Amino acid sequence: MDTVIPKTSTVLAALLRADFTTQWRNRRSVILTLVVPVIILISWKGLVAIKGGAFALSNSITIGLIATGLMGYTNAIARDRDKGIFQRLRVAPVPTWTIMASRICVQLVMIILVTTAVFIAGNEYDKITLTPSGYAFTYFTAIIGGLVYLSLGQMVAGLITNPETVNSTTRLVYFVFIMVGMFGELGILGVQVHDMEHWSPYGTVKTILAGSMEPGKWTNDTSIALLLTGLYAAIFAAIGIQRFKWNSNK
Amino acid sequence: MNDNQENILTVNGLSVNYGKFQAVQNVSFNVLKGEIFGLLGPNGAGKTSTLSALEGLLKPQSGSIVIDGYDAGEKPLYARASLGVQLQSTSFQPELFVVEVLELYAGIYGLTLTRNEILAILREISLEDQAFKKFGQLSGGQQQRVSLVIATIHNPKLVLLDEPTTGLDPQSRRQLWERIEAIREKGHAVLLTTHSMEEAESVCDRIAIIDHGRVIAVDTPQALIDKHRTDPEVISVSRRGKITLEDVFIALTGKTVRA
Ligand SMILES: Nc1ncnc2c1ncn2[C@@H]1O[C@H](COP(=O)(O)OP(=O)(O)O)[C@@H](O)[C@H]1O
Ligand SMILES: [Mg+2]
Repeated sequence: MDTVIPKTSTVLAALLRADFTTQWRNRRSVILTLVVPVIILISWKGLVAIKGGAFALSNSITIGLIATGLMGYTNAIARDRDKGIFQRLRVAPVPTWTIMASRICVQLVMIILVTTAVFIAGNEYDKITLTPSGYAFTYFTAIIGGLVYLSLGQMVAGLITNPETVNSTTRLVYFVFIMVGMFGELGILGVQVHDMEHWSPYGTVKTILAGSMEPGKWTNDTSIALLLTGLYAAIFAAIGIQRFKWNSNK
Repeated sequence: MNDNQENILTVNGLSVNYGKFQAVQNVSFNVLKGEIFGLLGPNGAGKTSTLSALEGLLKPQSGSIVIDGYDAGEKPLYARASLGVQLQSTSFQPELFVVEVLELYAGIYGLTLTRNEILAILREISLEDQAFKKFGQLSGGQQQRVSLVIATIHNPKLVLLDEPTTGLDPQSRRQLWERIEAIREKGHAVLLTTHSMEEAESVCDRIAIIDHGRVIAVDTPQALIDKHRTDPEVISVSRRGKITLEDVFIALTGKTVRA
């Protein structure tokens, strides 16, 4: 038998190239994902003086991460599943994990881009600067936080098959996160909502981002938030991966 | 490894269930090297389910599948490496240019093709002018040609085509038959599903008729006609005195229209 299985590295390279190209062709929605947190940051200029730079940056990055994971990633996999794109890939001699790994790599780059866009805007418009270790540490927590929303998106795509329903669900969740997240954070919605928000996947991600921007101010509270963030990601991913179907069975 | 050097595919006692529903029941057949084998059956007969099991998209309840000597259950990647596949409803990322779709699949099958080699492949199927169009902008027939050429891009020993001619106009259908015959000419075996009897009669070396998840006959089209020529059932459904494969098919699978 002279059958040769392609090298996993070759397969991954081909998938990555295609997935990044696809992302590039959809650059309008990519730009939107980057612009929304920047606009929020700029419109919060007045708050920076009261609540501090880390507060404004961490909220903006969180919103960018939610848009990336929940909207971008989730809707793309729901659509591609519905079109049979995954099934065609799966009948090739590729280990299944490579298909998703490539998709997630694209999202990791998006997370870095969102974080960088907010950093630059914060510097340009609000004169917020962090220490070099603050920047480095924040990229790291942004990836952890981004994974929460990617796995939340994975869960949505695992529980819901119809791409239109996935789309409206992710929009709704995005909207709720922004409302409860931003306004709850400001205390506008009362103490209870503020507490609930604080330990929600919005609040914990925001907390670890803010904590890593000023590593000196990292508290016990921040550590608990980090732990919870990891827990959320693990739970969402477990459900999302377990319930995920590769075809939509129309 | 392969006890029968003539078989590129051996399916033995294959059963596929969806929950409690048995879509494929104890199906056995084999495809010889270099032959065009047709899987014929009405809608819902279990053709796609059978192919899905061969492709590794679903796990069979029981039975064995051996592709080019590799057990599909034990060595799925090796079994799949010998397969070229066109699914009943395949799509590629609509944002990718046609050349990029080909590059993706060349990479996935471990080929290193240059842009020029890819363009040459597209020239063969008269799609060179569409090379830098997005896949989503091609017509249905053009998309179909892309998916067929991808099914053979790595020179597979066995090509699986699920209803390749459904939805094509007569010209494209004829052209596709020629392409399928050209695939065989290059030494590949082809396993296709269809419900076009005309197609089965004119391109398939052998066919299996499948209904309600069971194989009810396997033979050459002519032998099936000859064998059933005198069946009262067949004679009663035949028209204009000439017995066709379609008459045999209708007689064997019944007149009820399937959803
Ligand atoms: N994912 C599925 N879940 C449940 N039943 C299915 C599924 N796919 C196919 N079936 C059923 O299995 C039977 C065989 O389907 P299929 O293999 O697609 O038939 P064919 O390709 O011959 O038209 C049909 O009755 C169909 O309704
Ligand atoms: Mg079918």
